[in-house]
Amino acid sequence: MKKREERLILGKGQYADDLEFFNMAHLVFVGSPHAHARIVSINIEKALALPGVMRVITGKEVAAHTRPLPVQANFTSKGWTWRLADVYAIPADKVRWHGEPVAAVVAEDEETARKAADLVEVAYEVLPLAGDLRTALAPEAPKVYDDWEDNKQVHLVFDFGDPDKAFAMADQVLQVFNREDRVTGVPIEPRGCVGMYDTKNDTLEMWGSFQTPFLSRHNIAATLGMPEAKVKINAVDIGGAFGLKIHAWKENVVALASKLTGRPVKWMEPHRDFMATGPHQRDVFWDGKIAFKNDGTLLGLKATVYHDLGVESTNKGIAALSIFPACSSPTNMYKWVGMHVEGIGTVTNKSFYCAYRGYGKDKGIKFIEAAINQVAKKLNTTPEAIRMKNFIQPDEFPYHQINNYVLDSGDYPALLNKAIEMADLEGFRKRKKELAGQGRYLGIGLVTAIEPAGVAVPNCQMGGITEARVLITPDGSVEVHSDRTEIGQGAEISHATIVADILGMDMAHIHVKRVTSDFIGQGPLSSRGAVYPASAVAKAAKLLRKKVVQCAGSLMKIPADQVVLEKGYIYPTDAPEKKISYAQFADKMFFFPGPRGLDPEILKAHDHLLDVTTTWYSPTTPESGSSYTSFCVSADIAVVKVDIDTGVTQIVKYVHVHDAGTIINAQVVDGQIQGGIVQGIGEALYEGLNYDENGQLMNTSFSNYLIPTAVEAPDIEIAHLETPSPFSETGSKGMGEAPIIGAKAVILDAIEDALSDFGIRVNDAPATPEKVRKWIRQATKKNR
Amino acid sequence: MKMPLTFMLNNQQTTLEVDARQTLLEVLRNQGGMTSVHRSCEEGECGACTVLLNEEPVNACLVLAASVQGATVMTSEGLVKNGKPHPLMKAFTDELGIQCGFCTPGMLMNAYALINRAGDNLLTDQVIRKTLEGNLCRCTGYVNIIKSVHTAQKAKLAGEWW
Repeated sequence: MKKREERLILGKGQYADDLEFFNMAHLVFVGSPHAHARIVSINIEKALALPGVMRVITGKEVAAHTRPLPVQANFTSKGWTWRLADVYAIPADKVRWHGEPVAAVVAEDEETARKAADLVEVAYEVLPLAGDLRTALAPEAPKVYDDWEDNKQVHLVFDFGDPDKAFAMADQVLQVFNREDRVTGVPIEPRGCVGMYDTKNDTLEMWGSFQTPFLSRHNIAATLGMPEAKVKINAVDIGGAFGLKIHAWKENVVALASKLTGRPVKWMEPHRDFMATGPHQRDVFWDGKIAFKNDGTLLGLKATVYHDLGVESTNKGIAALSIFPACSSPTNMYKWVGMHVEGIGTVTNKSFYCAYRGYGKDKGIKFIEAAINQVAKKLNTTPEAIRMKNFIQPDEFPYHQINNYVLDSGDYPALLNKAIEMADLEGFRKRKKELAGQGRYLGIGLVTAIEPAGVAVPNCQMGGITEARVLITPDGSVEVHSDRTEIGQGAEISHATIVADILGMDMAHIHVKRVTSDFIGQGPLSSRGAVYPASAVAKAAKLLRKKVVQCAGSLMKIPADQVVLEKGYIYPTDAPEKKISYAQFADKMFFFPGPRGLDPEILKAHDHLLDVTTTWYSPTTPESGSSYTSFCVSADIAVVKVDIDTGVTQIVKYVHVHDAGTIINAQVVDGQIQGGIVQGIGEALYEGLNYDENGQLMNTSFSNYLIPTAVEAPDIEIAHLETPSPFSETGSKGMGEAPIIGAKAVILDAIEDALSDFGIRVNDAPATPEKVRKWIRQATKKNR
Repeated sequence: MKMPLTFMLNNQQTTLEVDARQTLLEVLRNQGGMTSVHRSCEEGECGACTVLLNEEPVNACLVLAASVQGATVMTSEGLVKNGKPHPLMKAFTDELGIQCGFCTPGMLMNAYALINRAGDNLLTDQVIRKTLEGNLCRCTGYVNIIKSVHTAQKAKLAGEWW
């Protein structure tokens, strides 16, 4: 039973672009052609003169009618560097990146709005650029935010365990560098919405590609100065999100436009704008030293990770916060003595940093996996041997990691052994040896990863709060409400499966409702779907089941413990023939219980309403101070062939063994894994956003920002272990991010192995054919 | 300049008032009501707006609407018969070759043309991958899409097809 998929496949999807309202106007943004420039003047007369144009909203108007975008994460109190900026959805004074909106045109139709956007005349005074990390951090660098001391937005310092002791114990220390290019998630559907301001009631309602309606309501209401109770945000069908549709800021302008014109206003972001002015991620450089013993025991890490944030990342997006998990995730699945990790976030004249699958958790893991594989090489051992030696063991869970992660459950050695067996690791190693000297370059990569999932961080908008409601309607069907927006990740199927199992009901009668801001929660992000909302829904369904059993027992005049709920029917244990359907039961409960049909005690105790709203919070994070509740794990082994003449990498075999605890729906889980792996492959081989010396983004389309097509995507072999999490309501762990982490790391590792004859460190993703050829040229020159 | 455009849309003779500069994508969505034809890149790179023009897959965003005068156009809505999903659609649902669903209608049309062209020849993974190269999907990693196409072809060979 796949209600949503069956609807979408018939072409009945209702995505943002499909929204139509009576009397609807259209909004188009005017983007800056400069990356850093003062706005001298804006002339809107020609645009306004075009028939059909209703309004041109500039930064000055935005400042007059709205408040600055609310701060979404604030850690100024910790003694760390954490700078905040006063920013509006459209700036009035200066632009800070190529494409940043300077005005918005509202017109009767989209084509007119596009034409008018070209007629808005802006005079700029171009300013020197802080176009990359090096320039931005240099003394006397052009400042992105004039009132800041320098361009550093964030500098966090963490000591986990005893790093000095770790280094004192070490036989050897190895320095490791790693770089990841700037990337973006690129859902095929860009962002879009319709805002409708009701001037009679002074209320605002919006529909669109909102990944987190409850948070968007807060942020939009705050900027418009409206009570949240007067704003409602509805998620419609969403064409992929991956984190990129979490935060609203252009949407605020759509809301304002509706308020100013009194018309419903629609905005669909052109895909090129989505890439140039949408959320970006990665763009990090790691400089670290790993300490270890000669027997392969890992001890510690001292590292700094430099982030190129683009413009500020606490108001438009929330990804300055992703520096936290970047710093803490290097612990991965091993035992350590201590780590000292510093995370620096620098603002530059690039688009803003926001969430994308992995968020920061990925960065530390990819770095430490690369470092550990360097250690293995240094010690002349295998990557699997060094992992087996340092894994947290199955009998040590729950394991309190040095960074306060409480790792919930798992069998890491079994996970890796399964992957080794499936990949025929020894066979491929033998094959590699046979091919040596024949000009054929086979490489085998191996990595293991945790996926910290289900986020709850105090002092930011990702606090972990969640709400779920499960109720039975008078016709005996069930409504399920939660904050878990369906973004293609299988939220509806998962919720329906959980509730159907608990209530003994057919999935056909379970209706998982579209997510709106009426329900509290931060939505599906950081793999929290199977942790927070699923737990809250399961808990609500269990409480509802209790009511059903109690009330049915009362109606049937039998003790509650003799009530059976199965396949949509309710009956006494010893008399299945007396079964009544949920519809009959609900009819009695709501309208026709019969004279004294229900025990008066039930009515007095208010237990007769078949409607439960509840919440769920992690049992571990309040005590541990950690942000995450469950830790899905994966082992990836990839075999690649590298053509050293063309630099092209071909994936020969890909194996992924995965443990996400109890699996709710196997097809959904496999789909998440396959999609995540191919995104990781894209990052490893092709994807990188490149800005030129003028701060122009060079790749804003699918023709020059290459994501994998069906041709590049490999066959993927998947196996599962199921070690239930003791901390979630269903035993499930949050999942969906481990695959993108493991895939990127393992492909780069495999390429490095393929090029082992040249002694090349593959530590600068993506490993494009051009780069691979360059590395080979450089290595050949050096070795001559 | 407004002009009447007459063509076969999903087996129905259709006349729409269009602007000479409009693309087939705009006309199908805005005047034709075929909202399964999705707008994304608008430059022929993503394949989300793939439709069949005289039985051949095209990116509707790259076709001038005026050029389809007298032609046959099919969108994924045209696969539905009496409200029932086409066996190809059923295969995509059964194999979960659909996640967010945004690339799906375009993917379906390309796959439909492929399976029809293949006749009795069993499609290989390689051929399916190569054919669907122009339809980008960011969710599925394509694995279940390939599976869906195989399942659909089996259905066609078993006589369940229209």
